[in-house]
Amino acid sequence: MSDMDDLNDLNDLNDLNGGFFAGEGIGDEVPDEEPDAGFDDGLLDDLRQAAGILDPVPTALRQLAVEAYALHDLDARLAELTFDSLVDAIPVRGATDPPRMLTFHSGDVTIDVEVTSQGLMGQVLPPQPAGIEVLSGPRAGATLVADDLGRFSSDVTPAGPFALRLRAGGEVVVTEWLRA
Amino acid sequence: MTAGTAPSTAYHDWPYTRGGAVDRADVGVLVQSAVDGDGAAWKALVEGLSPLVWSVVRAHRLSDADAHEVYQTVWFRFAQHLGRIREPQKAGSWLASTARHECLKVLKSLRRLTPTDDPQVLDRISEDRTPEQSFLDSEEAAAETERIRRVWQEFEELGDRCRQLLRVLMASPPPSYQEVSAALGIAVGSIGPLRQRCLRRLRARLDARGAL
Repeated sequence: MSDMDDLNDLNDLNDLNGGFFAGEGIGDEVPDEEPDAGFDDGLLDDLRQAAGILDPVPTALRQLAVEAYALHDLDARLAELTFDSLVDAIPVRGATDPPRMLTFHSGDVTIDVEVTSQGLMGQVLPPQPAGIEVLSGPRAGATLVADDLGRFSSDVTPAGPFALRLRAGGEVVVTEWLRA
Repeated sequence: MTAGTAPSTAYHDWPYTRGGAVDRADVGVLVQSAVDGDGAAWKALVEGLSPLVWSVVRAHRLSDADAHEVYQTVWFRFAQHLGRIREPQKAGSWLASTARHECLKVLKSLRRLTPTDDPQVLDRISEDRTPEQSFLDSEEAAAETERIRRVWQEFEELGDRCRQLLRVLMASPPPSYQEVSAALGIAVGSIGPLRQRCLRRLRARLDARGAL
């Protein structure tokens, strides 16, 4: 499926009759004369109860979210994701497992990152030495060092969500959390 | 009906529904308290809003592994953005929207590889004990369990769009329409009518099977 199809899918969601219910035959029904909230609220309550039993938030995940409070860090500058090859790049035909190219910006600092199955590499711009911590959650992460040209690499591919925490020139910059 | 089931009243008249772990009207206050260093406020936010995040993830039918990673990514990013969110009272919508975008990214990356199986939620009772589950351990609840299972089974058989909408609406406490809108990218004004239609459709399926 092409990127354009994705866009069309999203637009369809906003098209009440043509998209959201296309293929389900609901658009053919007689419209509501008067919404009767009491009629179906019980059914929605049943669903809510069913979800609580059959598909609740896993306890370990909930606990991780509680612990994530430790990631709240107002002293660090946030480097926002400004390019993600998954969203912004046109896929190369035939390329299986293309590298994930990411760019983060915070003020005048740019961080380019490339994630492959072999690991992670990147560069801090303007070029400068930096200490880099690869965060994978609320607990301490692995540390890397960027050389004088700002280049850094790791032979470990982040598994799951990750962020980079950079210390350079007396400043701390953290990239937006992202799923690799 | 049981502990943990929030009443689903006042959808149409209130910007935020009441009942459940967190009164949604307090979300802005909790966010501000968390920014100021109050860990209990953060915990209350997690308790009140993680079912919404989980519902959004589940509505997009990700594999378990992907669902877990998206859920974590959303909360890690929320912690990171805590003091920077422009409208703290809309934190639920922020979380729902972030979850939606991360889900769409996962689906996009999967399309480049091979599709994974849909999660078969019905076949797998979670090992985590919720208040609802503890209640259902009692023998007299067996019939009720069976009824709830049938409702869930028919829900799972609904078309994609209805299943997606209802999966988000059934979060506990019930999400506001703003949050549902952010979770699915549909206009607030269309949610009420769509909800009615989807529930009517589910009701028809159940009636046809004589399940209720």
